[in-house]
Amino acid sequence: MATFLQVAFDGLLNGLLYALVAAGLSLIWGVMDVINFAHGEFLMIAMYLSYWLGFIWKIDPLISSIAGGAFVFIVGALTYRLVISRTIGKSAMSALLATFGLSMLLKNICLNRFSPNFRLLQDTLLGGKTLDLAGIIIPVPQLVIGIFALALLFVIYRLVNKTRLGWAIQATAMDKEAAELMGINTENIYLLVFGLGGACVGIAGGLLPSYLAVHPEVGALFSLIAFICVAMGGFGSIPGALLASLLIGLVEAFAGFYIAPVFKYVAVFGLYLAVVMVRPRGLFGW
Amino acid sequence: MKRNGKFVRSLFLVMAALLAVGALSGAAFAEEKVIKIGTLFPLTGPCALAGQRCRAAVETAAEVINNAHPGMQVPLAAQEGILDGYKFVLVHADHQGKPDVAKSEAERLFDQEKVWGIIGSYNSAATKPASFVAELKQKIFMCGCSSSGALTERDFKYFFRMAPTDKTESLEFVEFIEWANKTKNSGIKTVGLIYENTEFGKHAAEEGRMAAETGGLKVVADVPFNPGATNLNSEVQTLKAANPDAVFGACLGGDYTLWVRTMKQMDWLPKAALNYCTGYQDPIIAGQLGDDANYFMGGTGYAPEFAELMPAVAAVEEIYKTKTDPSVPFDSDSIQEAVALLVLAQAIEKSGSLDPTVVAETLHANEWESPLSMGGKVAFAPGGQNLKAMSMLTQLQGGEYKRIYPVDLADTEPVIPMVPWKDR
Repeated sequence: MATFLQVAFDGLLNGLLYALVAAGLSLIWGVMDVINFAHGEFLMIAMYLSYWLGFIWKIDPLISSIAGGAFVFIVGALTYRLVISRTIGKSAMSALLATFGLSMLLKNICLNRFSPNFRLLQDTLLGGKTLDLAGIIIPVPQLVIGIFALALLFVIYRLVNKTRLGWAIQATAMDKEAAELMGINTENIYLLVFGLGGACVGIAGGLLPSYLAVHPEVGALFSLIAFICVAMGGFGSIPGALLASLLIGLVEAFAGFYIAPVFKYVAVFGLYLAVVMVRPRGLFGW
Repeated sequence: MKRNGKFVRSLFLVMAALLAVGALSGAAFAEEKVIKIGTLFPLTGPCALAGQRCRAAVETAAEVINNAHPGMQVPLAAQEGILDGYKFVLVHADHQGKPDVAKSEAERLFDQEKVWGIIGSYNSAATKPASFVAELKQKIFMCGCSSSGALTERDFKYFFRMAPTDKTESLEFVEFIEWANKTKNSGIKTVGLIYENTEFGKHAAEEGRMAAETGGLKVVADVPFNPGATNLNSEVQTLKAANPDAVFGACLGGDYTLWVRTMKQMDWLPKAALNYCTGYQDPIIAGQLGDDANYFMGGTGYAPEFAELMPAVAAVEEIYKTKTDPSVPFDSDSIQEAVALLVLAQAIEKSGSLDPTVVAETLHANEWESPLSMGGKVAFAPGGQNLKAMSMLTQLQGGEYKRIYPVDLADTEPVIPMVPWKDR
């Protein structure tokens, strides 16, 4: 039973991490109908920022996560202004290819500037710490990331559903032209949404160096899983992304332990296929 | 008619001038004595760090051969070039760790860049198709550190590998365990395998399983994983549940750090963790893991701590350090790539020919001096495996690679069982 609970906890904590990474993607995808292929690279640059702040000035990733969020908010806003805004109104493929190009650019800049070295922060506030709950070991860095994820998702959910700004975001997502006729500056909404999407993944990236090595390829698998979380949860649905992320985390953990570790991603992608075959709009999609 | 004559004369002069320039430049090319060697490593992708170091090692060897280094205790270092002035020119290519890219890049290097031979390719999965291209074209492929035993079981005539194979290391691991059981009463009876699900990892695990079972050890956990995973929780949980006395690991780069840290989080360690050529041998990764890296063990072909055993390395390593950023010493893998070019240079010089078939026959027929190899010599079996390849077991203690086995080369007693996480 202890092993079962241990595996379940591991799965839930991983799921919450995926939710934190997926939240921003869900927001961007849901509102703008843009697939941001550079999402994994946004995570990667926030991890580098957090790493360098920790390495040079000994700033802990807990604090750096705020800087990561702010920095990637700016990167996201700039991405919208300089890249995405030029593709609005054109084929959906334009934005997709533009963000794909951006992801290559960011990855290769980091490869060039920081080399492919794996960089690991030592002596962080959370690193290596665990809680022992009646024999169930809970790693503190992942627990804190989980708490951040829940808090951030709650804030985004409230922002989108309970504030005037959120209603403006929803209106823009539903019908851009009608929203403009109602006096909503959709250009600013898009800018804000891209920035907010970046900030979410920036916070995740800021926290991750507490236990994960930083390198130019680190965002690849995270972004793939985030795409699945968003598609499975339903485009634009924050609760959907959360539920899908938790499901994916649990399936990954249980399949990895009870079937075979090498099958854990097979199970994740299998679950995704099953959900979209039965419910193509995703769990909470409209 | 007169204007036509002037035109014909001008045309004739221009053509003559062009022919003269062409002839001169042709003569210049003819006089240029270069041997183009392609390097094919993962310069981007998950193994880029290792690939870039391997490339730097080949560059170092080329510099040793191309320029005179009197006093350097390396064959051909004292003279400038080989075959009366031929110099190596390197053409670099990146296979990103992908077998299909390795194959197409090997074809491009031979067909478009017209390289004479290739050195590479770190990942066994990439070396396999790339060397197949070389064999088809009857061109030489020098392999430094790809460790899959299958590479030298193909009876290729143009393929040569410097490093020991996973089979050699697996046998060494089991021999060490037998010794530790006898002399240290270690009580190691069971083994777990954790490895990346690639050509390298699968082959290493297969060899590990065979060696363990032959040595009377029971394999109680077999844990492959996808390289670059976001977490290794299930993998470590599976190991922990099976609780083997020893673990044979084949985890490269970032996966190695994740494996070590996840074991720490789950507060579990085997009595002994023995690693193939992986993240364990990377001094940068070991440094970043700090105390967590200690007490892990692995097969090691070279570490700076081996200086007294391999005195000739120091001078070559000084050049290597200028080619890496951050400046690092050779590691077990990169040094084998330097050996590959140094041995090739000796074979070309000895054969007195640039015919790949003649050079390949010379490589097979002779034993080569190799002060950068632990065995001191290189000699090839049919299929291309270096018969003199050696490594020894080291254990990280206090952040240093201590030699622990074979006993006659050891400088430190091994710590078995590993010190538990909470006592560090």
